[in-house]
Amino acid sequence: MTRFTGAVSLLAVAAALCALPAAAETADKRIALSNNYAGNSWRQAMLRSWDKVTKPAVEAGIVAAADPFTTAENQVTEQAAQIQNLVLQGYNAIVLNAASPDALNGAVKEACDAGVIVVSFDGIVTEPCAWRIAVDFKQMGKDEVTYLAGKLPEGGNLLEIRGLAGVFVDDEISKGIHEGVAENAKFKIVGSVHGDWDQAKAQAAVAGILPSLPDDIVGVVTQGGDGYGAAQAFAAAGRKTPTIIMGNRQDELAWWKEQKDANGYETMSVSIAPGVSTLAFWVAQQILDGKEVPKDLVVPFLRIDQDNLEKNLETTEKGGVANVEYTLEDAQKVIEAAAK
Amino acid sequence: MRWLLSRPWLWAYVAAIAVWGATLAFTGGRGGAEVMTAAFTFATFYVIVGLGQMFVVTLGPGNVDLSIPATITLAGAIATKVMDTQNSMILAGLLVAIACGVAVGCFNYALIILLRIPPIIATLSSSFLVQSTAIAYGRGIRIKPPSLLADFTTAQIHGVPVLAVSIIVLSALMAVVLNRTVYGRFVTAIGQNLRAARLAGVPVGGIRFATYVMCAAFAGLCGYLLSGFSGGASLSMGEEYLLTSIALVVIGGSSVAGGFSNVPGLWGAALFLFLVVTMLNTYGAGAGLRYMATGLIIIAVIVAASGKRAVR
Repeated sequence: MTRFTGAVSLLAVAAALCALPAAAETADKRIALSNNYAGNSWRQAMLRSWDKVTKPAVEAGIVAAADPFTTAENQVTEQAAQIQNLVLQGYNAIVLNAASPDALNGAVKEACDAGVIVVSFDGIVTEPCAWRIAVDFKQMGKDEVTYLAGKLPEGGNLLEIRGLAGVFVDDEISKGIHEGVAENAKFKIVGSVHGDWDQAKAQAAVAGILPSLPDDIVGVVTQGGDGYGAAQAFAAAGRKTPTIIMGNRQDELAWWKEQKDANGYETMSVSIAPGVSTLAFWVAQQILDGKEVPKDLVVPFLRIDQDNLEKNLETTEKGGVANVEYTLEDAQKVIEAAAK
Repeated sequence: MRWLLSRPWLWAYVAAIAVWGATLAFTGGRGGAEVMTAAFTFATFYVIVGLGQMFVVTLGPGNVDLSIPATITLAGAIATKVMDTQNSMILAGLLVAIACGVAVGCFNYALIILLRIPPIIATLSSSFLVQSTAIAYGRGIRIKPPSLLADFTTAQIHGVPVLAVSIIVLSALMAVVLNRTVYGRFVTAIGQNLRAARLAGVPVGGIRFATYVMCAAFAGLCGYLLSGFSGGASLSMGEEYLLTSIALVVIGGSSVAGGFSNVPGLWGAALFLFLVVTMLNTYGAGAGLRYMATGLIIIAVIVAASGKRAVR
């Protein structure tokens, strides 16, 4: 009997220990966000999401600190110095949105050697000691063409709006789009312009190339931030609006909603939620907690379709980007998916 | 003919027309008029800031305004918020945008003169402050412009953009200001020789002050019109106008060392810059090749323009 109760109480203690939140292990750990740029609405939303999720986490004692730092000039040297400072200040983990995939590797290696966990996301780094939360941009481009293939069974001419030349993300999305087009021979890309993910630039670029393109453009494949500008350019040229893939920006969604109400316009919208910074935060917390986390993780897309447009538009603030904040459970799911 | 050949702005136009022709050669003559309409539409915004930048550059070596993009953004954000889609507030919006530019200009000059900071550093640091203000104020806000303003900025009559015509009139006016008014002659005199100008009794401080304020006011005007044109203000709306405004001055045949400027060249250069991008897009050139070609063409135009000047 005593032995039995002893076993039971032992079990109870073990159970209680297991039930303790993982937080306890990281309560004295400090996490910093090193961010290279804050000058557009996506980055602003990213920083707000960070605050929204990490402040309660700090108050709840899950971590001791989660401070965001942004460099002023979007320059590699500046961010490298910033990382060195963060190491000196004794942060246990650095969540990093990097200005360059390889130029920061030296600073990142130094941080790793000093025992600091580095988790890069969005703008990832190639240094092997860091974790990467990458986006499968190629798949995103491919998804756009797949959607158009389903919606426009007859195919036709496409206009491609690319992002900032020379940036990894731009190359990947474009590769995915071209792969998608190769698989769907009914589509042909008749023109390609660089819109730099900026609606004013996209508008100017599209307005410039439109006169030289055939009249029957059925779709515009984009990279986000450029859909509204493309729509404006088509309207200004007096052309029929094709199916323009959107990129989750509020102005794009608002325009889509207007068109949907006026003439039943249909399209889809896909991008990465700025809240991915919070996913990176939880991943860093899990690593600090001693969890086995694979070095390469993949972020889920945030996709908006005809039926959930209204809901997403409502929750997206004016001038912002459709967003979700991730929870600890979301991070654990992403980690599990990568571990498989 | 000889008069025409000796014009420093000639080469910008020659280049613009050549690039336009090259585009048409590729498309087989299709869409020529539409390309020109688009070129004038977008060149208009370049020219507005180019006018201000040109006057500043004319002041002589070291004079340049780097706060233009931030001013555009701030003025656009504040103006759209003040107007709040109300047609009755259009004039108020315009005044607020220009006032916003004037305030930035005063601040710039205060840094230059009171703290004795060189103009490049002064306007660069003030651009950080202004951009931060815009971010804090707007938080990436996009309020639609009043419908009348949007209609005006995008209006065309037989393919001729109304806004472009208005700005051509404004440019003509500024050409008179530069060449025929005491103020314009003072600006040029300061640029040619600051010491001589001062000894000749030119009120150097006042003229420079007025020029920096005017430049920022033009940036404010550009932000106002641009937010009307592209359906609202955004945080990155001014970005491309920094290098563009300086490039316009140089390609247009004005001297980057100051003291020698012309207004017509701004239009030639603005059309040229837009048409180069259009041409390379039409040809489907890769991004690397495009940047290289753009660079080479710009160098060629500048060499041609400055070669002419050396002969004179």
